[in-house]
Amino acid sequence: MISDITLGQFFPGNSVLHRLDPRTKIILTVAFIVSVFFANNPVAFAFLTLAVCFMTALSRISLKVVLKGIKPIILIILFTAIINVFMTTGEGEPLIEFWIIKIYTRGIVRAVFMAVRVILLIMGSSVLLTYTTSPIALTDGLESLLSPLKVIKLPVHTFAMMMSIALRFIPTLVEETEKIMNAQKSRGADFSNGSLVERAKALIPLLIPLFVSSFKRAEELATAMECRCYRGDKNRVKLNKLEYHGIDLAWFLIFALFVALLVCLSVLPYSFGVDNELYNILFYKI
Amino acid sequence: MSNILELKDVSFVYSEGTPFRKVALNKVNISFERGKITGLIGHTGSGKSTLVNLLNGLYKPTSGQVLLDGVDIWDEPKKIRDVRYRVGLVMQYPEYQLFDETVRADIGFALRNKGMSEGEISERVIEAARFTGIGDDLLDKSPFDLSGGQKRRVAIAGIIAMRPDVLVLDEPAAGLDPRGRREILGSLHSYAEMTGGSVILVSHSMEDMAHYCDNVVVMNKAEVYKSGTVREIFSEAEELSSVGLDIPMTSKVAKRLLDLGIKLEGDLYTVEGMRDAILRYTGEVEK
Repeated sequence: MISDITLGQFFPGNSVLHRLDPRTKIILTVAFIVSVFFANNPVAFAFLTLAVCFMTALSRISLKVVLKGIKPIILIILFTAIINVFMTTGEGEPLIEFWIIKIYTRGIVRAVFMAVRVILLIMGSSVLLTYTTSPIALTDGLESLLSPLKVIKLPVHTFAMMMSIALRFIPTLVEETEKIMNAQKSRGADFSNGSLVERAKALIPLLIPLFVSSFKRAEELATAMECRCYRGDKNRVKLNKLEYHGIDLAWFLIFALFVALLVCLSVLPYSFGVDNELYNILFYKI
Repeated sequence: MSNILELKDVSFVYSEGTPFRKVALNKVNISFERGKITGLIGHTGSGKSTLVNLLNGLYKPTSGQVLLDGVDIWDEPKKIRDVRYRVGLVMQYPEYQLFDETVRADIGFALRNKGMSEGEISERVIEAARFTGIGDDLLDKSPFDLSGGQKRRVAIAGIIAMRPDVLVLDEPAAGLDPRGRREILGSLHSYAEMTGGSVILVSHSMEDMAHYCDNVVVMNKAEVYKSGTVREIFSEAEELSSVGLDIPMTSKVAKRLLDLGIKLEGDLYTVEGMRDAILRYTGEVEK
């Protein structure tokens, strides 16, 4: 069923990560994404993997669920990996040479780590942010972080409101699509068979009612908001005001340490001039 | 065989294998008699709507069989569309499914999917429209220009036009005024009478059940709580309130009268039956 999509879905809970301020999590996620691209050798990657596993454990979300979120992008990962294998040129003799294809050790290593990088990226940011932050907290956090832009007359509040409304209505729309699909199937509509043109045509009885009800709902929502005197962020106060706590400070510090260590692991090894076999493998520059 | 549709040990589970797993139906056995109007009643979340979606093959039972004329509808999954023409399902708030340019085209949608000839389609459309009380002047209007009650009728006509052997309606009268209610439910009665087809009616309203149905199936917590003729079910009306259902107004009055020491006899679940019972009672007192 269509309602089984998990990527970007919020899982309610009460872990440390759930309780962090959404602003902290947004900033840390950005820092995390940047740091993932810093890692450039096996040791740094191992450290990064450990950190991601640690965060997943802290979030108390089952590993199965987190891995399920990677499933939809597995094709993209494979694609990048294959491109890397064939397109990377390295020093010395190629590992395999066949017609115009040359595969170097460097290419294979690079493909593997590229895949690991993407997987860690998705796992880390979903555990840190999307799985553990409710959509409302997320938009509140974004609005608060972007509020300095109000000085240059950017309608930050409006954007945040649009975003939360859009997020709020995704499940409603999915449910409605399923309902109308079933209603038309009851009248003999066929969505899964036939030529491409026939299938596109079969969507008309689905899309028209969906559009009609979406417009109607938008109008009703607008009226309902106006009835409650909604005027953008003028004079509006929040029920749950965002506040930084000690735990946020702690996480900022831990994360700063994490980033610093990662940068050290990625930069320092090359300035010592050590040359032995194990050392070269451990810090093989990808 | 007297049963047109039969459910045998049917179970249905949503989101099997995930933390959101939910049993919607648990080993349900129901027989729907040919040519009868059967009411399906139950509290919200009792599994009524899931059951309705199983009847025409929109959902596939997790286990168990749905038999149409004694044949499992999932014997040949590729022919499930034929089942949907034979078991016509009118969903809840069916007016949201209207999409075509004219009322005429919308009612004929199922027939065009079935591949019938234009002549036959227009004949059947007019017949179905008359049946549900849609005037000829409305046929060439856009369905989006109609009132809520009219839209509902157009949607029902779209299913009736298929001339299904079994007509299933999920809360067809929800949100309508009393007159629209009477008209729509009344037309179901004549559908069963004129075509010899069977009707399955899902409703919350006990009065409607008592009025329009021959048999009643009471659902509670994913299981069949009770089933039988209208008289059998409503003679023990108090039991129904224990599963969170309302009992007909006249049954309530009869119960209060009984508390006052006045014992009435007869079909106390309809206004007519109550009237007769009261007249009989007062007649005896005068004697």
